[in-house]
Amino acid sequence: MKKKIKLALAQISSKRENKKANLRKIEKFTIKAKEQGANLVIFPELSLTGYVLHDQVYELAEAILGPSTKKVEELAKKTGMHIIFGMPELSEKTEATIFNTAVFVGPTGIIGKFRKMYLPTHSVFEEKRYFRPGYQTAVFNTPVGNVGLFICYDIFFPEVCRLTRLKGAELMVCISASPAVRRNYFEIFTAARALENTAFLVYVNLAGVEDGLQFWGGSRLVSPTGDVLVKAKYDEEDFVVCEVDYRDIRSAETFIPTLRDLRPELFEKLKKQSENL
Amino acid sequence: MKLTASVLELDLAEVEKRIKRFIKEYVENAEADGIVLGMSGGIDSGTVAAISSLSIGGDKVTGLMLPERETFDSKDINDAKIVAEKFGLKTTVCDITPTLEGFYKTIPIFDRTEKLCKGNIKARTRMIYLYYYANKLNMIVCGSSDKSETMMGYFTKWGDVAADISPLMDLYKTQVRKLALHIGISPELAAKPSTPALWPNQLAETELGIKYETLDLILYGLERFMTTEEIAQQISVKKPLVEKVKSRWLAVEHKRRLPLTPKVEYRTVGTDFRLPRHIY
Repeated sequence: MKKKIKLALAQISSKRENKKANLRKIEKFTIKAKEQGANLVIFPELSLTGYVLHDQVYELAEAILGPSTKKVEELAKKTGMHIIFGMPELSEKTEATIFNTAVFVGPTGIIGKFRKMYLPTHSVFEEKRYFRPGYQTAVFNTPVGNVGLFICYDIFFPEVCRLTRLKGAELMVCISASPAVRRNYFEIFTAARALENTAFLVYVNLAGVEDGLQFWGGSRLVSPTGDVLVKAKYDEEDFVVCEVDYRDIRSAETFIPTLRDLRPELFEKLKKQSENL
Repeated sequence: MKLTASVLELDLAEVEKRIKRFIKEYVENAEADGIVLGMSGGIDSGTVAAISSLSIGGDKVTGLMLPERETFDSKDINDAKIVAEKFGLKTTVCDITPTLEGFYKTIPIFDRTEKLCKGNIKARTRMIYLYYYANKLNMIVCGSSDKSETMMGYFTKWGDVAADISPLMDLYKTQVRKLALHIGISPELAAKPSTPALWPNQLAETELGIKYETLDLILYGLERFMTTEEIAQQISVKKPLVEKVKSRWLAVEHKRRLPLTPKVEYRTVGTDFRLPRHIY
């Protein structure tokens, strides 16, 4: 595994319900990332289809491997890049059971996937109406590092990130489709999750407007001490390449030894208390 | 949460940016050639005209002034013209009096003494003019309804509220006034009393029976699930006033929704037929 990698935050505005156009954009930015020396390029939540899909999600969802993931596989093979993107995933075992999924593809094919665990269904969000939640956190040991994945609202629940970290994630990737009214929360959470777990956290958000929802962009790489190392523009499409030096985790972990100080017995209590809320 | 005027404070630069972005992206996605909007000479339409021009350029914004004999006030025309001049948008004046007279003469049960029914004809007639321009010139209709009036149902169904987009609909009236000042509308216009101009000397606050400063705080509290007791106590008004606002707030939901239909089939418009917008 490399000690240093270059990653690209591809903060795109997806063309809603137009997988062809979005795949073209994924290809364009993957090639751009490759040209700028990146090893990994990350696209936002549901970047394959756009976020506000309502009932059309049933038409747009695809199994993994399906036509779109095969195209991204080809792209990864052709460019030698690692690619993370979001899509509505159709369960292979059913006809209309769909997950909100982050897909991780490498030069040798699909590395893995993460199904969003916490589906926001409040305010403007209606994800539980359409998606089944995932039940597993996901960490992958890859040439670009030990990479953990989660999606948007999952970041509000520290246990998702913590579990990902405890499974060995050094780079925690949060892909997102967050509207502007929530910007402040994510700016706080992204720093907090990185800091409390002393690992790198990369956050890649959508840009653009869908049905009055304005995605705020602001994608970023946060250091293991909670510092924002790079930040993409607010609101509009942007593309930022940055470097992750995994050796920084060691000094962060000694200075802020949250992992050493973990108290496993509290998790039992947490479980019991949350069952009786 | 303490319900004081400060809760209605906004980051006006951010709100301006967000509304401008919304208008611009909408017009572009719709592949429209611009925006048409009604200009009454009031604060809401002046603000929406100004911010639309700041968003897509005044040359792409057409303001229609649609006066009629009974409520005509040259000051309204002048106020609208001042905004148009300052923000560089085009304006056209269409006197709708002959059209209204046509309705008055041809509706068999028309009653001149019923001012609300008659006034609603005016608001709906203005809507027809706006949509004619939009259709003819490949534009979208931009509404100027604010959140105070929308939540109180203080508008004509399918009339002044009819639009393709309503950029100010998530801002209470007092917030619109602040945004207006922020983007360069004159203090005189920002403070001008609102009127739907359905009949002479009609004033919104008189008709609603409450000052916008108080109404907006009550609506803000209701929006955040506060009880009527809490709201009354916090803003030092009598509870029946808050209850009256709440009753109206609930009763006029029908004006904010598509017509209701009984559920008969698999997916039903207005309830569980949920499609993303494609064509604007």
